[in-house]
Amino acid sequence: MQEALFENYEKQVWELAGIVPGSEGVRMRAFKQAVKLGLPTKRDEDWRYSDVKFLNDISFSISKKPKAIEVKQAPLSQNYAARLVFVNGYFDEDLSDYAELLEAVNVRPLANHFTSNPDRVDELVEGGDGVALLNTALMIGGMVISVPANTVIEKPVEILNYSTGTEQSASHIRHVLEIGEAASLNIIEHFVGDAISGNYWNNSVIQARVSEGGSLTHHRVQEEGAHAFHTAKAHVSLDAGANYSCSNLMLGAKVSRFEGHVKVMGEDARATIDGVALAGKDQSHDILTNVRHMVPGSTSDQVVRTIADAFGKTAFQGKVIVDKDAQETEADQSFKALLFDRRGEANAKPELEILADDVKCSHGATVGELDEKAIFYLTSRGVDPVTARQILVSAFTADAFERVDDELKTVIAEKVAQWMTERNIG
Amino acid sequence: MTMLKIENLHVQVGTTEIIKGLNLEVKAGEVHAIMGPNGAGKSTLASTIAGRDDYEVTSGSVTFQGKDLLDLESHERAGEGIFLGFQYPVEIPGVSNLNFLRTALNGVRKYKGEDEMSAGEFMKLVRAKASDLKMDVDMLKRFVNVGFSGGEKKRNEMVQMAVLDPKFAVLDETDSGLDIDALRIVSEGINAQRRDDTAILLITHYQRLLDYVQPDVVHVLADGQIVKSGGKELALELEEKGYADVA
Ligand SMILES: Nc1ncnc2c1ncn2[C@@H]1O[C@H](COP(=O)(O)OP(=O)(O)OP(=O)(O)O)[C@@H](O)[C@H]1O
Ligand SMILES: [Mg+2]
Repeated sequence: MQEALFENYEKQVWELAGIVPGSEGVRMRAFKQAVKLGLPTKRDEDWRYSDVKFLNDISFSISKKPKAIEVKQAPLSQNYAARLVFVNGYFDEDLSDYAELLEAVNVRPLANHFTSNPDRVDELVEGGDGVALLNTALMIGGMVISVPANTVIEKPVEILNYSTGTEQSASHIRHVLEIGEAASLNIIEHFVGDAISGNYWNNSVIQARVSEGGSLTHHRVQEEGAHAFHTAKAHVSLDAGANYSCSNLMLGAKVSRFEGHVKVMGEDARATIDGVALAGKDQSHDILTNVRHMVPGSTSDQVVRTIADAFGKTAFQGKVIVDKDAQETEADQSFKALLFDRRGEANAKPELEILADDVKCSHGATVGELDEKAIFYLTSRGVDPVTARQILVSAFTADAFERVDDELKTVIAEKVAQWMTERNIG
Repeated sequence: MTMLKIENLHVQVGTTEIIKGLNLEVKAGEVHAIMGPNGAGKSTLASTIAGRDDYEVTSGSVTFQGKDLLDLESHERAGEGIFLGFQYPVEIPGVSNLNFLRTALNGVRKYKGEDEMSAGEFMKLVRAKASDLKMDVDMLKRFVNVGFSGGEKKRNEMVQMAVLDPKFAVLDETDSGLDIDALRIVSEGINAQRRDDTAILLITHYQRLLDYVQPDVVHVLADGQIVKSGGKELALELEEKGYADVA
C-alpha cells in the first residue's frame, strides 16, 4: 500500500541530500528505517484515536520556499527576546528578529548541524516511528539553539511557523535545543496557516536536552489552516534538577497531534505537559505524552482539557513509566473532556507502568457536558447564555494554562473565547 | 400596581406535572411569603419565574409589569428586574464571584440600555453592599460559592441581590442554614430591598424570618397549588397546627 508513497519520498530524500551537503547519510538511514516500520495506521495502538488516514492517502511533496512574502501575523508576545520566522518550513532571515539573542546564545541553522554534529541528529533514527523518521529523512529547516551554562533568557523566543499551505505540500521542521547547566530558555511556537491554505502537512520535531539545573519552557499555539495536518513531537531529556514545562493550545488543522516524550534522567527533575484541544466539526486533536522516570525523586504533572463540538474528536493518551530504581517519583495526570454535542467524541487512555514500589502517582479522567445548573445560575443573574458558556469554558480550560505566564495566558484566553464565539451556541 | 401575575400555571418537569393550576398576584410594595410541605413545588415555581428552561410551562400565564415573562429568556428576565435567590446556590470552580457579579450587573445594564459600570465604581458598590451584609470582600475574590459554608452561600446570594437591585426578588429558603446573627443580618438586607417600587416573594419553612421581614400576605402551596392565603397570622397558625390542619 505504502510503496508508492515511499517511492515518492525517496526521490525527495535524494533531492534534499543534494541541497543540504552532508545530510545524505542520516537522511538515508532514517528513510530506510521508515520504510521498514511503515507509516502509522489506525491499527497502531498509539495512533488508534487519530484520523491518520491522510498519511496513507496523500503523497506529499516538499513545500516550496515562497518568494518574498509579507507575513502580517503579530507576535503572541509583545515583549520577546527574539522572533524566528519560518515560512513553509524555511527560515526567513528578513522577517526574523534575533540579533540581540545572538549575543547571549548560539543560534544556527540546522543545515550546519549535519556536518558538525551528526550523532545528535541521528538519535531519532532509533526509536522513532515512521513520522519521526520521515521528518529526519526530509527535514528542510530548523534551528539549533544552544544556551550556555548560567545564561537565563527570560523573555520568550517566539518561533512562528507560517504556512502558505499549497495543496499536498509538506514541511518537516526540526529544532534542536540545548540548555546548559543552570541556563534557561522560554520558547513559544506558533503555527499559523494562511486563510486560503489547502491540505498541507506540517511535521515538526523538537529535540531538547536540559542540563543540570536548567529550565526549558515550551509553549505551543497551533492555529494551522482548516484543511491542514499537523503532527509534532517534542523529545526532551532532563538532567538532575532540570525542568521542562510545556503547554499546548490546539485550535486549527483538520487533524492535529502533539506528542511529548520526556526522559527524566536526573534526580529532582520535573516535567509538566499541559494541553487544551478544542475540536470543532470534522477536527481531530490528539495529545500523547510519554514520561519516563529513570532515577529517584523526580516529578511530572500533566493537565489536559479538551472540548469537542459536534463531529469533533479529541484524545489524550498519557503514559507514565516509573523505572525500578526511580523511587519517590511523584507523577500526576488530570484529564477532563467536555462534549458540546452527543456527536462529539473524547477519548482518554492513561497508562501507568510502575516498576518502583515507593511512588506517588495519581490520574483522573472525566468526560462530561457543561453544567446546566451553573448556566442557569449565571443567566438568572443577567449573564447572557453565550457569555455564560464562555465563562464556564474559560474556567474549564484555565487549569491547563496555570503554568503559562500572564501575558501569553491572556492571549490564549482570548483565543479560547474567540473559539467559543464562533461556536455560536447559547 | 400589579407586579407579578400568575394565572392557572401548569408546569411539567420531565413527564411529571409539578405545578397544577397555580394563581398568584403580587403588587408593588408587597412582601408575600409562600410556605408549604417539602416537595410541594415551591422551588419549581421559583425556577419557573426565573426562566429555567427544562421546566416546561404547559399552560397558564406569568406576566411581570404587564409583560409576558414566559416569552423571555432567563437573562432577559433578570434584565427586567427578576432575581432568584437559590435554595441551593451553585458552586462554579474557576469563576470568581467578582467577575461573575460584574458580568451579571453589566448584562442587566446592557439590557436596560445603560452603560457598563466601570471597575472602580463596581468595586465601590460591592464593598458597600458586602459590608452591609458583613461579608468579607476577600471572600468575593474566591470562586463562586466554592468552599463556602451553607450560611456563607446564602449571604453571598444577598450580596448579589443588593448589587443587582432587582424589582422582584424570589428568595427560596434564604433563611435555611443561617445562624441567629446571620438571619438578622440577612433580614436587614431583605428589608433594605423592600420599597414602594419593589416586591418580594419569600419561600420559607420558618416563622423566624417572618418576624424580621413581616409579610403582607402568606400563602400555602401544597401539591402544586396555592391552597390557602391569609395575613401574617396565617404563618403563626401554620407553625402551631401544621399543614394538615390548616390547609
Ligand atoms: N429536575 C427534576 N426532575 C424530577 N423531579 C423533579 C425535578 N425537580 C423537582 N422535581 C420534583 O418536583 C417536586 C417539587 O419539588 P420542589 O423542589 O419544587 O419542592 P419544594 O416545594 O421546593 O420542596 P422543599 O421544601 O423540600 O424545598 C418534588 O417531588 C421533586 O422531586
Ligand atoms: Mg425547595
